[in-house]
Amino acid sequence: MNTNLFLHELRRNTFSLILWGIIITVLISVTMSVYPAFMENQSKVMGMLSLIPKGALQFKGISNFNDLLSASGFYAVNNVIYMLVLGSIFAIVLASNILLKEEYNKTAEYLLTRPLTRKEIFFSKSSVVLLNVFFLNLVTALAGFISIALVKTGAFSLRSFMILSLYTFLLNILFGSIGLFLSVIVKRARPITTFCIGLVLILYFIYTLSKITESIAKIGYLSPFKYVNLEVTSPTYKLNLLSLSYFIALSLLFYLLSYRLYLRRDIYT
Amino acid sequence: MNQPVIDIANLSKFYGKTRGIEHVNLEIGEGEIFGFIGPNGAGKSTTIRILMNLIFPTGGSARIMGLDVVRQTREIKYKVGYIPSDANAYSFMEVNEFLNYCIRFYRVADGSSRITKLSKLFDLDLKRKIADLSMGNRKKVSIVQSLIHSPELLIMDEPTTGLDPLMQSVFFELLRSENQRGMTVFFSSHILGEVQMFCKRVAIIKEGKIIKVEDIDSLRKKQLKKVFIEFGERVNADNFNIQGSVALTAGMGNTLSFLFSGNINELVSFLSGKKVNNLIMEEPSLDEIFMHYYQV
Repeated sequence: MNTNLFLHELRRNTFSLILWGIIITVLISVTMSVYPAFMENQSKVMGMLSLIPKGALQFKGISNFNDLLSASGFYAVNNVIYMLVLGSIFAIVLASNILLKEEYNKTAEYLLTRPLTRKEIFFSKSSVVLLNVFFLNLVTALAGFISIALVKTGAFSLRSFMILSLYTFLLNILFGSIGLFLSVIVKRARPITTFCIGLVLILYFIYTLSKITESIAKIGYLSPFKYVNLEVTSPTYKLNLLSLSYFIALSLLFYLLSYRLYLRRDIYT
Repeated sequence: MNQPVIDIANLSKFYGKTRGIEHVNLEIGEGEIFGFIGPNGAGKSTTIRILMNLIFPTGGSARIMGLDVVRQTREIKYKVGYIPSDANAYSFMEVNEFLNYCIRFYRVADGSSRITKLSKLFDLDLKRKIADLSMGNRKKVSIVQSLIHSPELLIMDEPTTGLDPLMQSVFFELLRSENQRGMTVFFSSHILGEVQMFCKRVAIIKEGKIIKVEDIDSLRKKQLKKVFIEFGERVNADNFNIQGSVALTAGMGNTLSFLFSGNINELVSFLSGKKVNNLIMEEPSLDEIFMHYYQV
């Protein structure tokens, strides 16, 4: 890894990291601020929710009304889109641009003519992605933890919260690896941000659709979101080894493939 | 020749089925100022991009100072400076920030003083943002970044585009002094005048193949002449068929101009039967010699 390049990339992405961190933190805080009012009017809200078709609630991530009664359950159900979807969009957009932007901004001719190997460039830049995703997850998990701590009325399982945060991190890392992979297989250097955002949303849509439509439930396994366990209120909630292996294996596969392809990639500007 | 600074052997690059360069062979010695000329699409940039390991060859090999351009690119780049044809540095950076970022990649003790010295020479405002610079000023930044680590070899792809004549003169003066220090220069251009003025030896590339490598002086000393004839009557260029004449153009109905590399006696003998008002024979410019190579 090259320190000069690593620090340069880190500085370059700081603003974006701070912005995303603020946005997700604000969204989580605002959502969790509703929880005390929800608990005060529990019976009314439950009555209203029972009128909504089951499918629509499942689409929102509510499979069991009781999930909403605990602060961590409320957090998992209502913040899933921020933690999982926005975090994944952040990861895939950052990763897909970190190598490719040197090509479409025509700066590759400066970077790749420095005394650096492709290996050093790849590891320096991908380390920045890893660190950014880690910090975003850290900040949003802290925001989630603090907001739960402020509004909780009953017991709160820190262990379950940590497992949920780990799932989020693993999912974001997988999308980061997919982003890197897409950037090294694209033929003509151009931003692929829209495609990457679309991919995350489509995979999330497949996941939610598979949850509400039993006949296509198996299609859900095509989506990485399926492997995230959101049932934090379950007493048996734990990190599933199969899911863990899935995230680690796929992330490594896309990462190593990206590395191999980048080593032999023709760089045009 | 000692070990060549650049040694290209049978180098080829195909983009799928499309030809980039084909069996290019070149040897450039230490301290040379070597010109690489050809029109757009001839393969100049492809060759340079392989040397800089931006793209990979599909055949052959290239070595710089004995080091393989693919496997030992890191070691090579400590010794090489590069001026790309497009001067697009990081637009969000200030000039000073960019140059300092560049120099930190090298083991240079006097980096800051080198930046200051070169920037003064090119009248560069170090505090300005790269995004706000004109094309000419961006080119100056590109030149400075290529020389800050005092390279042993400078590879340039169309380096003077955007530079005003005054800065071109400063640039060439600097290159001469760096060359006297021992720096080798590989200079790709389609502006033949600057190659003629600056280089000692030149390779001409056409459709991906090197068609000639020659000393600039011997290129000029070729028996190639530029001929202009004004006849006393209308002439048809199609009827003017004498061995050794190329790039034949007719003008005003009674004039012909062409490059001539044949036997002058034969030309005189051919003209003896015609009514000639004026005959001018002169040394062709490099541009015209170049045209000759492209037409034969």
